[in-house]
Amino acid sequence: MLVGIELNKYQAQGDVTNEMVACLHTVAAKRCQASFARLFHYFAPRLRAYALKQMGNDALAMELVQETLTNVWQKAHLFDASKGAPSTWIFTIARNIRFDMLRKQQHRKEDICADDLWPVLCEQTADLAQPELDEQVTLEQVGQLFEALPDKQKQVIEAIYIQGKSQQEVADALGIPLGTVKSRTRLALQRLKEMLSDED
Amino acid sequence: MKIKLHPSDQQLTLFAQGQAAPGESLIISAHVDMCPVCQKRMANVEMALAEQVLTEQSPLPDRQMQDMLAQILATPQASTTPAEVHYLELDGKHFALPRSLQRYASKINGWSHMVGKLWQARVDLGIHGRADFIYMEKGGSVPEHTHRGHELTLVLDGEFSDGKGHYDTGDFICCDGQHTHSPRTDADEGCLVFSVLDQPLHFTSGLARLLNPFSHLFFK
Repeated sequence: MLVGIELNKYQAQGDVTNEMVACLHTVAAKRCQASFARLFHYFAPRLRAYALKQMGNDALAMELVQETLTNVWQKAHLFDASKGAPSTWIFTIARNIRFDMLRKQQHRKEDICADDLWPVLCEQTADLAQPELDEQVTLEQVGQLFEALPDKQKQVIEAIYIQGKSQQEVADALGIPLGTVKSRTRLALQRLKEMLSDED
Repeated sequence: MKIKLHPSDQQLTLFAQGQAAPGESLIISAHVDMCPVCQKRMANVEMALAEQVLTEQSPLPDRQMQDMLAQILATPQASTTPAEVHYLELDGKHFALPRSLQRYASKINGWSHMVGKLWQARVDLGIHGRADFIYMEKGGSVPEHTHRGHELTLVLDGEFSDGKGHYDTGDFICCDGQHTHSPRTDADEGCLVFSVLDQPLHFTSGLARLLNPFSHLFFK
């Protein structure tokens, strides 16, 4: 019996996660207020519990909750389901905002902000200055393999990795949904990786 | 080429919680930028923290909820712009930096030429202690020293040895009072590191001991 209860619990958790992923996508794509309200009602009381512990003061705690959820509303397009669950993404936003709030509140003079430390709310672009170490030797190979990609994937990869555009910019330029850009990028990278390991 | 030295689980967890010291956080972040292994570790730590932290609830009064929701919905969607890429320049050489250190490439107060074949550029982070980019030319070395506090070093480009080990690009090295070492590099391209110190170094051998009274000027 206990096993059944446990399973139900995990299943329920998975359902909530899937629902929250769908909500974030609709907020990103259509600025859907109902989807955001669902996210808001689920996360606000949870964020408040965290914020009260961290800030030790109700007014500051409320500021942290509001600031976090405002970022969720404004930057839902930066959420990437392939990288983690909505709760992880929202926790990391709250952690970042807490860091900057405490720095201001304590009048600390460090010139280090949360965006430097944790790129949660940065537009993800390929960093040309930073090829992965393992792959430096194979840049030339990658060039050849790139030619072997299907046209649609090549187009997206070229815009992101060669022209340095953000995924959102590529979506706008090609007139396709952001999710499609993300999945094409993922598929193309996966394919390149497979081709590379085949060569080894 | 594989990164061998990483922050400990404890260092990574404190960093992920936002509880590590700011200078330490910055150098850990730069390592994570360079290290696919630690990017995965971070994702796992953050997932576990989120589960732990966002389980408990502290409900808000209905009216406050409605007000907050309305205020948020009234804000416009933000557009974000990708950051520009900055390079660190020394003597005609250009070094690519990890994402987290990009903003500081333009914030150094110039390079100063130290003893031997060493170059140092202090980064004014406003932290307790100090942070520097240090470049060792081929054959360059830092006099043997130990540490009163902690010295965190991240190899940004090239490689070096210190009599204890050999360190390659991406390696994250922690030293404290128990470590005495004299870093040097024989790599043709030299070696660029980022270093965060909370206390002055303490020089331990030969003539370099004379540096101790001045160690607040040299690497502090």
